[in-house]
Amino acid sequence: MFTATLRGMLAHKLRLLLTTASIALGVAFLAGTLMLTDTMHAAFSQLMGGVSSGTDTVVRQESAFTSVSGAGTAHASLPESVLEQVRQVDGVAVAEGAVSGYALLLDTGGKAVLASGGAPTMGYSMTADAALRGDVQVRSGRAPSGPGEVAIDASSAADHSIALGSEIGILFRGPSETFTVVGTVGYGGQDDLGGTTSAYFDAPTAQRVLGAPGSFNEVVVRSNGELSDTALSERIAAVLPAGTEAVTGAAVAKEASDAFDESFSIVGAMFAVFAAIALFVGSFIIWNTFTMIVTQRSREIALLRAVGATRRQVLRNLLGEAALLGFGASAIGVVLGAGVATGLTALIHALGFSLPSTSLQVLPRTVVVSLVVGTVVTVVAALVPARRATKVLPVEALRDAAPGAAAPSRLRAAVGGVLAVGGAAALATGLTGEVAWASVALGLAAVLVAVITLAPIAARPLARVIGAPLGLRGMPGQLARDNAMRNPRRTASTATALMIGLSLVVGMSVFASSLKASFEPSLETATSADLFLMGASLQTDGFSQEAARRAADVPGVATVSAMGWGQARFDGVDTSFSSVDPATLEQVVDLNLTSGSATTLGDDGVLVTTDTAAQHGWTVGSPIPAEFAATGASVLQVRGIYESNALVDGYLISAATHEANLPNRLDSTVLIALDDGADLAQTKGDIATALAGQPDAKVLTPKQFAAEGAGFVDSLLAFMTIMLLLAVVIALLGIVNTLALSVHERTRELGLLRAVGMTTRQVRAMVRWESVIIAVLGGAAGAALGLGFGTALTQAAKSGNMITAIDVPYLQVGIYLLLAVGAGVLAAVAPARSASRVDVLRAVVTD
Amino acid sequence: MTAITTFRPPTTGTSAAARAVGVGKTYGVGDAAVHALDDVTVAMDAGRFTAIMGPSGSGKSTLLHVLAGLDRPTSGEVYVGDTEITGLKDRDLTLLRRDSIGFVFQSFNLLPTLTAAENIVLPIRIAGRKPDAAWVQSIVETVGLTERLHHLPAQLSGGQQQRVAAARALASRPQVVFADEPTGALDSTSGAELLAFLQGAVRNGGQTVVMVTHDPVAASYADRVLFLTDGRIVDEMSDPTADAVFDYMKNLGA
Repeated sequence: MFTATLRGMLAHKLRLLLTTASIALGVAFLAGTLMLTDTMHAAFSQLMGGVSSGTDTVVRQESAFTSVSGAGTAHASLPESVLEQVRQVDGVAVAEGAVSGYALLLDTGGKAVLASGGAPTMGYSMTADAALRGDVQVRSGRAPSGPGEVAIDASSAADHSIALGSEIGILFRGPSETFTVVGTVGYGGQDDLGGTTSAYFDAPTAQRVLGAPGSFNEVVVRSNGELSDTALSERIAAVLPAGTEAVTGAAVAKEASDAFDESFSIVGAMFAVFAAIALFVGSFIIWNTFTMIVTQRSREIALLRAVGATRRQVLRNLLGEAALLGFGASAIGVVLGAGVATGLTALIHALGFSLPSTSLQVLPRTVVVSLVVGTVVTVVAALVPARRATKVLPVEALRDAAPGAAAPSRLRAAVGGVLAVGGAAALATGLTGEVAWASVALGLAAVLVAVITLAPIAARPLARVIGAPLGLRGMPGQLARDNAMRNPRRTASTATALMIGLSLVVGMSVFASSLKASFEPSLETATSADLFLMGASLQTDGFSQEAARRAADVPGVATVSAMGWGQARFDGVDTSFSSVDPATLEQVVDLNLTSGSATTLGDDGVLVTTDTAAQHGWTVGSPIPAEFAATGASVLQVRGIYESNALVDGYLISAATHEANLPNRLDSTVLIALDDGADLAQTKGDIATALAGQPDAKVLTPKQFAAEGAGFVDSLLAFMTIMLLLAVVIALLGIVNTLALSVHERTRELGLLRAVGMTTRQVRAMVRWESVIIAVLGGAAGAALGLGFGTALTQAAKSGNMITAIDVPYLQVGIYLLLAVGAGVLAAVAPARSASRVDVLRAVVTD
Repeated sequence: MTAITTFRPPTTGTSAAARAVGVGKTYGVGDAAVHALDDVTVAMDAGRFTAIMGPSGSGKSTLLHVLAGLDRPTSGEVYVGDTEITGLKDRDLTLLRRDSIGFVFQSFNLLPTLTAAENIVLPIRIAGRKPDAAWVQSIVETVGLTERLHHLPAQLSGGQQQRVAAARALASRPQVVFADEPTGALDSTSGAELLAFLQGAVRNGGQTVVMVTHDPVAASYADRVLFLTDGRIVDEMSDPTADAVFDYMKNLGA
């Protein structure tokens, strides 16, 4: 019986091709995502392992927890005395103090050398012992020595044409200085540390410009080879003061690559979501294909039943076919996945992120997961049509009648109706009063399922309405409309695939558009600042505090209030905090304090939002347990309760508290208020001039500040839209599939039409219009659903501070609809051609 | 059925509505070549009902298809009216079929999504013209379909479907109607009704009908019967009776 299955599949090559493609694309995305994450992990582990390969043991202050992001170092600094203690330990060949910190390179023209995509700009001490450097090797020139010399990473040197011997400025947390470039540094095969820009100094210089004289961030140790790294670390640990630890170089490398994995896992999860969407959309095409297979083969199935095949055998046969198709398509998908991984890497690079590279990692897990997921999705999607096949009565083998489309069942209408009403109710409940996100999410999901359920019922009337203008286009138009209405289930599932992709795109557009439109008004409510300083690149953690100091000296500037951020554990929860200047904050930010004051923050106080305070029952004076990575557990006291706004949210501590607990604080935003009567443009120009030597920061008006945020939203939206296009492409393959099958089914009708005088041009138009009806049906439903979803989400988000109004991008939605029409035309090209080539005689002659 | 009085014969320069001159049709090449038609020269007289008969494989359907512009001959020339159709491009041939030729096939004559009325005016609508309502009405009445006009084909009997097809074939006042075994799938009563209708269109309306059939009774409705064997016209009979045709066919060895 399986031979029949195989032959059946091969008999319809186009159908096989399109169905395979729809599964393979989704699986390719899944496999590509897995390969990408594995490759990144391998590349980063290799890089980090290489960098610390010369280091056997690292001595450092213990950290309460490993902070994965935020400005500041996780470990407090060590006194120099520790270095001498370590050197005394038996088994230590070499020990040196190491220092690292914020350093921003300027090119020879004085422009900032910005790190790509979220990577930091760093300065390091270079060990005197070459073996301790591991893979951090001088590529050209020599190692820095003396107060005026620096070596820089090979990427920065090449990309910004910084030649050996150049004099360049470098910005630090303190005043900037000028150095002579004496060398470039490479890292094994890589030119930079995953996008980080690096400056290397000798140890005394590094202490002066990056850290503090008399202290190190850590002590790096090379063993004399007599002990294992672990044993050496244990031996060193024994002589260290309390609060200081000795760990192996390998462990430090693993910490670094784990941190990278964790931050990259968000990207991986996002890609996985897109893969799931693609597979979901693809499943509609599989459903369609199997429905058609069952319809076309109903006589064959009936014959099998007549000669004694049981229902179970018929079901098994069809599911076997689905499994085979799914497995084969998934295998192709895995191969295509390598291409997807490469493409995604290119996309990430194009977005400005620098990733370390290595050979593509294809783990057995990737292959297994992709094959299983693809096969299971295919079998599940084929289950309903296959079950329907088992209901074919043996007597139908004897009938000649073409199987008509069954009327949509009342059960479907009932289930769909209940889901729609329930979903709407859940949405309404969720959006009324205090926003209940769970209720909103449940409501949206229910509405989506309701729409998918009701689609076959709505398809016929909707196709009639959408096709109405086609009546003016004569007979081909009318026939196109009739054909689209003919099998509402098929039309519905084809259109649904497009609908899902488009609804997500439109929903996101509405949300993003509202977010963008809200930046300026919400900023106005939050702050009275006339000017802002922000990082030269949106992706940096912050900029030197020197910028705020310089801006404060400009005539016409009344108040300068700097803000920074970091990560810590408050009340047992890892969260980010903002650090502010208690003296000036309330002059520029409208805190709407319900009690307490920002000026009383001191070095052990915290401001919390009204929501958080209400949630925990905190009042002014309540103690909050806080844990910082560098200094460990402490207790902060609530000094005020404020309303969060677009600029400040969450826990607010003073800059002093931040600095004391997480060294190397940077500014992330600086708010500037001007003297009454000061000329805005003049003062802005003066500040820009004052910042000429500090290109890591720039001065912006509130409008420009809001526009920066909008630009960021735009690039995120563009990225998401590109990802979702995959789902749209799969949906278009579905339209091609449906049309091709319809043309195949209607060979005789097409022949008849040609015989009685329909020209090939008219035949093509007929198929094209049918395609456009399906595309517009899916597009319009997707746009409507997307507008609903986007509006609901935006409404829910209005309870926060980022969104003040709902802004629907009608023009954009209109363009999407036009594109859907265009896509419909495009999808019809091949099926229309094959329809116009139908052999008239074969179609009309009864054999 | 009522008599057709409103049929007007199309005016042509010649007395032949369609003719074949030295037409051959070969399928395959070399040893595998099959000669379906072998140097056939024949004229279908305008205003007459011609039946083409022959045993299976005699080439009778091929001749009809070639004459109707549905198939192209391997050699020779075919004329519909004064137009030589052998050299026409597909588009021109299609327009000729649409405007000058009517078709009735053995089965599957109607689009399942269109009602009987819509099927009848299908070629006129494809041409983008408005049907002549009075004319269509008279045909509909003649074939006795007034009551079933707004039914879909699936709701009509086989005989009714074939009468709709015949009405469609005549609706655009074609130069010639080609019918390929039109009664092949009908019971004898329905078949007789259809044949009487076609005969009426010729006798009373001056239409030209060319019909392929293997049924001597059907052939007896025609004014003239052509006999085909092995791709050649071997004989013809005027004003045939069913018995005469039956006897002749028996001798042909059909």
